[in-house]
Amino acid sequence: MNKISIPIGPQHPLIKEPLSMKIDISGERVLGGSLRLGYVHRGIERLAQTRNYVKNVYLIERVCGICSHIHTTTYCHAVEALLDIIIPPRAYYLRALMCELERIHSHLLWLGILAKHVGLDTIFMHTWHDRELALDIMEEITGGRVLHGANQVGGVRFDLDKTHDAMIRSTVQKLKTQVEGLVDVIENEPALIARTKGVAPVSAEMIRKYCVVGPVARASGVDVDMRRDNPLPPYDQLEFSVVTHPDGDAWARTVVRAEETHESLNLCERILSDLPDGPVSTRVPRNVPAGEVIIRSEAPRGELFYYLRSDGTDKPARLKIRTPTIPALCLLPEQMSAIQVADIPVVMAGVDLCVACADR
Amino acid sequence: MGKVNIDSLRSLIESQTGCTCDVYPEIGNDDTLIIPPERLQGVVALLNDYFEGIHLSTITAQQRETRGNAIEVIYHFYQDSGFSLMITLPEQSPELASVVSIIPGADFYEREVAEMFGVKFTGRDETPPLLLPEDWDQGPPFIRKEDNDE
Amino acid sequence: MIEGYFYLLLFPGLVFQVICGLAFEWLDRKLLALFQRRVGPPWYQPLADMIKLFSKEDILPKGTNDLIASLLPLISLCSVLTAGLYVPIAGFSPYSFEGDLIVILFLMSVPTLAYYLAGIVSIGIYSVLGGGRSLLQYFSFEVPYLIALSGPAVMGGSWSVAGIMASQFTLGPFILFQPLGFILAIVGLIGKLKRDPLDIPSAKSEVVGGSLTEFTGLKIALWHLVMNVQAVVGIFLLINLYLGWTKLANPIIAIIVFIVEFLIITGMLSAASAVFARLRIDQLAGVGWKILVPLALAQLAFVILMGV
Repeated sequence: MNKISIPIGPQHPLIKEPLSMKIDISGERVLGGSLRLGYVHRGIERLAQTRNYVKNVYLIERVCGICSHIHTTTYCHAVEALLDIIIPPRAYYLRALMCELERIHSHLLWLGILAKHVGLDTIFMHTWHDRELALDIMEEITGGRVLHGANQVGGVRFDLDKTHDAMIRSTVQKLKTQVEGLVDVIENEPALIARTKGVAPVSAEMIRKYCVVGPVARASGVDVDMRRDNPLPPYDQLEFSVVTHPDGDAWARTVVRAEETHESLNLCERILSDLPDGPVSTRVPRNVPAGEVIIRSEAPRGELFYYLRSDGTDKPARLKIRTPTIPALCLLPEQMSAIQVADIPVVMAGVDLCVACADR
Repeated sequence: MGKVNIDSLRSLIESQTGCTCDVYPEIGNDDTLIIPPERLQGVVALLNDYFEGIHLSTITAQQRETRGNAIEVIYHFYQDSGFSLMITLPEQSPELASVVSIIPGADFYEREVAEMFGVKFTGRDETPPLLLPEDWDQGPPFIRKEDNDE
Repeated sequence: MIEGYFYLLLFPGLVFQVICGLAFEWLDRKLLALFQRRVGPPWYQPLADMIKLFSKEDILPKGTNDLIASLLPLISLCSVLTAGLYVPIAGFSPYSFEGDLIVILFLMSVPTLAYYLAGIVSIGIYSVLGGGRSLLQYFSFEVPYLIALSGPAVMGGSWSVAGIMASQFTLGPFILFQPLGFILAIVGLIGKLKRDPLDIPSAKSEVVGGSLTEFTGLKIALWHLVMNVQAVVGIFLLINLYLGWTKLANPIIAIIVFIVEFLIITGMLSAASAVFARLRIDQLAGVGWKILVPLALAQLAFVILMGV
């Protein structure tokens, strides 16, 4: 059969976000692919230079629609590092709580999308139903389901009381049983295994070459997690295990993400029991002293990188954001060979794309 | 491997590649070395061999009025702890050797810097635009705009 | 004369089949929703969808032959409606004749071929891919389906659906003798209908809408109708071939039994689409030829040996 080139995106039912991928196929065999971004490039890095540090929190929140909280958290950590202030410990813990909830909701969302792409709509519906529970907690404590507006430079803008504590604990318990069932399905459902096991495996060497981070790297046996390796407070106080898997295929990624969800649920409970008392924010000056800082944190998709330079005014002189999706996208065309057309959704879903993050 | 010690790193680079590098102290929590642009490829290759595959977090480019609008390109690495290499390029026709052949993952970072700051990366394939529209003809959008956007 | 029009247009012809088709779609969607912890659509949703699609603009890509593109769903609809005429409904079959099973199976294959042609006619990369996939799926599933369905024919000693039905009045329902054949026939039906989990030709995340990607408005509405009526006729056929109970004296009870059996098979189809993941096309061909065909042959051999 002749070589034909099929476009995936910028509008395609496979990816909800605008990413353009051209895939060369011959019959049902995939020969290669190339991709481009930029359809949702909003110039946030540039825009950030025109707003002051306080306003930027709300701008940064809009980098991503899924992992919005980790972006503001990392940004606030960067600004606080330049200001050289320590915020109240309770605020650190509340930030971490939100981060873990966000990881849970992001991973469940991803598991649902993978299930949908292999035709298991039932699991899609169930995981997204469970994901609503995590969103409910976030809405209850911050008022926002997706954009929380929870962070500010110098602390957080919400606090927990006794009723919240009980509500979160019971919901987390509920989620735990659901996720355990989900792990059981992932490990035993033959059709899901047939569709994901051995599909486009990525070796640890490839992961290192392409600087891939997060669950994708961990599913290939590369043991990286910024929460443990380079912890921001309060992760240096919290104990948790980093899930890795040696296989590197789509199934390994599924397992890693499902078990990470479980680990995050455990972390939520730990954070709740360790939660210190005290204020949740502190007053900070408007102007930030000149200096440069680099903050790395672990977003749901992996290492998130912020570089912030201040020139002593109330506006950043340069803000560089590197989201974990970018290296994963870089790897994607490499995976688009020696697979079948039917595997394209699995491979594309496997890296957990967040195009809005990658474009910024 | 242990934590990266900036002094041992500096002496390693200086002894192996023979280039002189200075410590850049401004970035508080990340060790940074300033290296001359023409040495970049050799240093990155050395680090990649030394650490058996090095993790490049990203490449940041920026322009600083206080330094005569020179374009600074910073390579952020991570190997148990973060460290960076800083290169200063002239504002007019900046050129830098590509490290894609050493670290394939640098591809998108280099393309982003090339499109946003007009830095020309030599020694790599010509690529279609990654972020900018195909028919973009107004030059790199990030450059020299600090003065006129308020 | 008037009787003929009644059969053609009202029962068991056009109107009845269409109503059954819409009812099937609603039932299927509702059941699927219940499996997935959703609410599901109200009962009039399939009809509303259809009316809405009728009122939509009908566009096709430049260069597509509009006449052929319109004829394909119409021909398919006519074929499945005609097939429906020959399938007895609760024992009622005005046009039955010896050998009508072959005619029904032939007419039921027309939509698949039309579906393939629709992919070729409407110019679009996904359409061509989907069309090619639908043929591959057809070749993987038609053979075990036909072998499975010939089991009841051999056992009943007749190639007329009504005759097979009648022979079960004395022998007992064939599902008792050919449970494997019944399962294979259901799998074959799912494959024929391109339903989830065998929706490879129209898998949304892979080939957008398959052959029908470029179809809109009236034409896509007709295609949906074709699929639904085809499903209904296929289910009726299965009921007649495998689930003919001993002659029921009371026609009311016969109708109730028929409806219950229809609901059960619909439930099985919905459950299958809720529970199973979509296979890959190479896996599909493997399943079709390496598993289903030998099983179907074994079932047929069993039937023949039993007859001896």
